[in-house]
Amino acid sequence: MPSLTTQNLSKSYGGTHALKNVSLKIHAGDIHALCGENGAGKSTLIKILSGVETPDQGLVQWNGNHLSLGKVHEMESKGIVAVHQEPVVFPDLNIVDNLYAGRELSSGMGTWLNTASMKQRTRDILDSLGEDLPLNQPVGEMALAQRQMVSIARALFNQCRILILDEPTASLTTRESDALFKTVISLKNQGVGILYVSHRLEEVFQLAQCISVLRDGILVSTQSSNDLSEDALIQQMVGRKVAYPSRQQPVNADITKNKPVLELKALSRTPAYDDIHLKIHAGEILGMSGLVGAGRSEIARAIFGIDEFDTGEILFNGKKLQNHSIRKAIDLGIAMVPEDRQRQGLALPLSVETNLLLPSLNAFQGMTGLDRSQMRSMSGQLISKLGIKTGSPDNPASALSGGNQQKIVLGKWIHQNPSLFILDEPTRGVDVGAKSEVHRMIIELAKQGSAVLLISSELPEILSLSDRILVIAKGHVSGELAREEANQEKLLKLSLPEEAKQSP
Amino acid sequence: MITYLLRHRAIGLFLFIGLLTTVVSWINPAFLSAQNLRDIAVQAAPICIISCGVMLVLVAGEIDISVGSMMGVLAASMGIMVSASRAQLPPHVAIALTLLIGIGMGLFNGLLVAYAGVPSIIVTLGMLTALRGLTEIIMNGAWITDLPEEIRFLGTGTILSVPLSLWTTAGVLAMTIWLIHRTPIGRRIYATGSNPQAAQLAGLSIKSIKLFVFAWTGLLTAVATLVSVPQLSVVDSGIGVGTELLVVTCVVVGGTSVNGGVGTLSGVLCGVALMTMISTVLIFLKLGEHATYWSRAIQGLFILGAILADHWISNHKK
Repeated sequence: MPSLTTQNLSKSYGGTHALKNVSLKIHAGDIHALCGENGAGKSTLIKILSGVETPDQGLVQWNGNHLSLGKVHEMESKGIVAVHQEPVVFPDLNIVDNLYAGRELSSGMGTWLNTASMKQRTRDILDSLGEDLPLNQPVGEMALAQRQMVSIARALFNQCRILILDEPTASLTTRESDALFKTVISLKNQGVGILYVSHRLEEVFQLAQCISVLRDGILVSTQSSNDLSEDALIQQMVGRKVAYPSRQQPVNADITKNKPVLELKALSRTPAYDDIHLKIHAGEILGMSGLVGAGRSEIARAIFGIDEFDTGEILFNGKKLQNHSIRKAIDLGIAMVPEDRQRQGLALPLSVETNLLLPSLNAFQGMTGLDRSQMRSMSGQLISKLGIKTGSPDNPASALSGGNQQKIVLGKWIHQNPSLFILDEPTRGVDVGAKSEVHRMIIELAKQGSAVLLISSELPEILSLSDRILVIAKGHVSGELAREEANQEKLLKLSLPEEAKQSP
Repeated sequence: MITYLLRHRAIGLFLFIGLLTTVVSWINPAFLSAQNLRDIAVQAAPICIISCGVMLVLVAGEIDISVGSMMGVLAASMGIMVSASRAQLPPHVAIALTLLIGIGMGLFNGLLVAYAGVPSIIVTLGMLTALRGLTEIIMNGAWITDLPEEIRFLGTGTILSVPLSLWTTAGVLAMTIWLIHRTPIGRRIYATGSNPQAAQLAGLSIKSIKLFVFAWTGLLTAVATLVSVPQLSVVDSGIGVGTELLVVTCVVVGGTSVNGGVGTLSGVLCGVALMTMISTVLIFLKLGEHATYWSRAIQGLFILGAILADHWISNHKK
């Protein structure tokens, strides 16, 4: 059976070893999962296998033939293609140009593009994926899940032999993930070897025959998935045992008797959402479930004063908000952790300290400008309290792993003691270890009396953290469930739009 | 409605130009005379040619504000090469060398941006000043007044009673359309500006794409110089001053995004038409001498308006 093998791959950046002597074998027709915490070296391995990076040492072979490394084209021509974690697309270009970027079909030595055949092939590929997307629309105007599909279509494009999927379901809802799994399995049956990288362990066990674990750049183990339990896998990934923090019953048993911190009355904005009523009480975690694009993020944006709404009222601590703005929201004590942390939650080139203290810089205003020493001690406290792994508070946020970045995004609000937290997909693309820390932080927030609006597409997350769950489908509240009565099936059923439920 | 017209910039600008023309020709019918339209077209030609290059620079996510001084260097060196009292090179050799010098200066910009990693606004700002200084050194305070007939023909000659500069412009437009819509490199320019990181992961050579757009702009600046400077009988060290700002204005008013990835040739063409019309329009409106002083202020307002329009669009996308 043909296979992709790596021998003793090593790569270091500066002084840190990202990979050390990694030898791995991926067979065609197998789904091979790669697990590990953020910073374990997965991204580096993917970058080397897809030709984006050159290793310091080591070999990669396809069917026993050496591959020349560090060239994307070389890897693609051998059929080794990667779909990177954040959907990497060209927002201003349409699907056809996205799929063909860098490998356009042309005749006459690149002087004449064959646009007709490019369009036709694109349509064929989308058909084979069961997707019906408009060919002329700029991809940037599509939903995140659709953009992900464009990324995958891009990968499937050539005669693909090894497909590397990096967190493919991070931005997808359950239903979209299921569609993706079908695609993955049918590719496997066609003899494609798949290197599947995911933090969602259920997926890993559901799909993979073989699981490899990376930790601190070292390949810890490669085992058949049948011989491995979820607990054992987690243990190998983190090198210690972690208990998944399950939410205690509310400290205050009858939490809804607390005064509501936030109340929405008939909030509407066409076409995103319509007639939304909700109440969140102090100390309560309200989960908001639903499909991607159901209008959850838009509601959150309205509460935080980012977007205007058409009709309805927002009441905060019983008072109606007028002329709402982000500044006003912050001053009132509302904090928001946005969905797309890299783009909306962090100033990546700025230091960890600046990012942490950005919303509260006014507090450090002294007679002669900002009080640097006070800032340093505050950021130091936060870094140790949140367990942010960084060499120095002066390191740029871009140098940190995804989980640590998310801790900064949360941390920059925590020391202001906001009375309402809006968390939009707080653990998207965050590794297991950091995920449970983020979960603990969320529970801690509620314990201290903050109200939390938790938006998540990950059902177990919503189920384990929320006191109450509100389901949004197509911009409407389709149901509200108490913690005790909620389960995955109910949530899923409520989140599907009416017409989809009726069709088989 | 307004959003639609702002987004489909070419259509919006086209309607605006139509409206402006109607109003001006109603006040002063001479505006629509063949001679005046021809004058406007000839005046627009070099701006249009250079805009075709600068537009692609912006689409690739960079900017070039050095073209005015490049024109100065090109005009000066061309003048010295062909002048009867200086180098006396044969005209075709001088033309070829001028084109090469244009490409060379563009490549220099491109190398600094793509390979040395200096932001293009800094590189071309430096070049704007340095090349103007170089022009003054070359000219050494003198004027060149003895351009040979063959070179004057580039500026004043006609084919089928259409000025040579308009033929050249048509040729450049055709090549640009072909480049954008029919070649891989055209697509890659848009891809690079749209998402440089994705472009790299797709295996595109961002460096060579950036190098290309700057070199292409250098070449087109040389072409524009060759067909516009010989319209006058004098070459001095002030040729091209301010051209870079006019070109960037046309390109941005025409709907090209300063963030890269977006730009249409039809929009840029309308931007060029509008911006070159404005000074003429002010004269034809007979508002008195002072009115013509307004043209720069209006030019500035248009660029601000165009950028505000882009913000309007991105805020109303959803």
